Amino acid sequence: MMLRALRHICAVWLVLSAVQGAVAQDRPEVVAANYPLQYFAERLLGETANVDFPVPADVDPSFWRPSIVDISTIQSADLILLNGAGFATWVDRVSLPRSKLVNTSAAIEDQFIVTESITHSHGEGGEHSHEGLASYLWLDPSLATLQAEAIATAITARDLAPADDVAARLDTLRADLEALDAETRDALKKLQGTAFIATHPRYQYFARKYDLSIASLEWEAGAIPTDTQIEDLRSLIIQTDAQVLIWEASPPAGAFELTTELGLQNIVFPPLAHEVDGLTYFDSFKKTVSVISQVEIQ
Amino acid sequence: MIRIAAMVCSCVVAPFGAAAHGLTVFASVDCETVLVEAKFSNGKAVQQADVRVFDGENALQSTLPIGPDGTVAVPLDSVDHSGGLLIEVSTGSHDNYWIVTPDDIARNCQS
Repeated sequence: MMLRALRHICAVWLVLSAVQGAVAQDRPEVVAANYPLQYFAERLLGETANVDFPVPADVDPSFWRPSIVDISTIQSADLILLNGAGFATWVDRVSLPRSKLVNTSAAIEDQFIVTESITHSHGEGGEHSHEGLASYLWLDPSLATLQAEAIATAITARDLAPADDVAARLDTLRADLEALDAETRDALKKLQGTAFIATHPRYQYFARKYDLSIASLEWEAGAIPTDTQIEDLRSLIIQTDAQVLIWEASPPAGAFELTTELGLQNIVFPPLAHEVDGLTYFDSFKKTVSVISQVEIQ
Repeated sequence: MIRIAAMVCSCVVAPFGAAAHGLTVFASVDCETVLVEAKFSNGKAVQQADVRVFDGENALQSTLPIGPDGTVAVPLDSVDHSGGLLIEVSTGSHDNYWIVTPDDIARNCQS
């Protein structure tokens, strides 16, 4: 009797597993060009689709070089979420199906920050310059909201999830982003006008949003600064009167000591292009804001 | 030389990869050839560059000089394109790439 019951339970479990597997396989596939877009899409889609962010954790998604197999997978997705603003250089080096592409910042191009032009001359191309766009839009929660709205519109237009569900989830997400914005503004109010230096240009939209002054260097992430870089930093401190140095990731041992000797406080501000330590976009953002709000300005 | 960007909020150095900036590579494919085009960001055609063609396993299939008009045609029957192709163009000071997937080839062959 017990054996028969056990067999029944096993049979039911096998059937349920098979059904669950089939449903998972049939779910639409969404690909995102960075972690915030993945996170927003997951919030908006719930369990109705798989959302993949294919860039390995140790690779900067701005400069990821995908394999042919990666691109084949992306081409076969039901929806491809791009950040726009020049983020993810691989996007311009492949053919992507236009019907599946969504540039989540297409409607906010008038709010882009243009970065400085670098003119140089080498090779046969003669003198030329490279003007760029700041691309870490999601560090301004208001711009992140507009990106989330673009994702919601794309999901609904392609019928990847019930429209009412997506609308309800968008309302919740929008409220969360508005609360994040308010909390951040409140926490950083005392720092308005304070000069910061960042080891890499990532924080333009964050700085604009919260009235901070953030000058940038271009140090290699995860490397100890060279003597020349320290001298550059020393010059920039004199120019800006900055008291805080922002790192995008924890540097090797000894790096903090070098910059502390220059009178700087060191803080780590992950720019969230990748998920950090298993924390959500919101948890990481709030954690960083908490750290920044505790810097001591003299 | 100090490589610093301007200081106030919105003025900062462009986050471009040094290895790839300034050179645009594009490849179109039909049933017979992959046509590779390369130009600098100022619009001028690249006149001297090596075009390297890799297969889906990242094995080098062919190296060709680019033509004076900044293009080169790679015959499909000269390379193993079953797993797609990675096209790299290098001028020595600039480089960039284009990825051609098996679907790209199949799709353009049908049209």
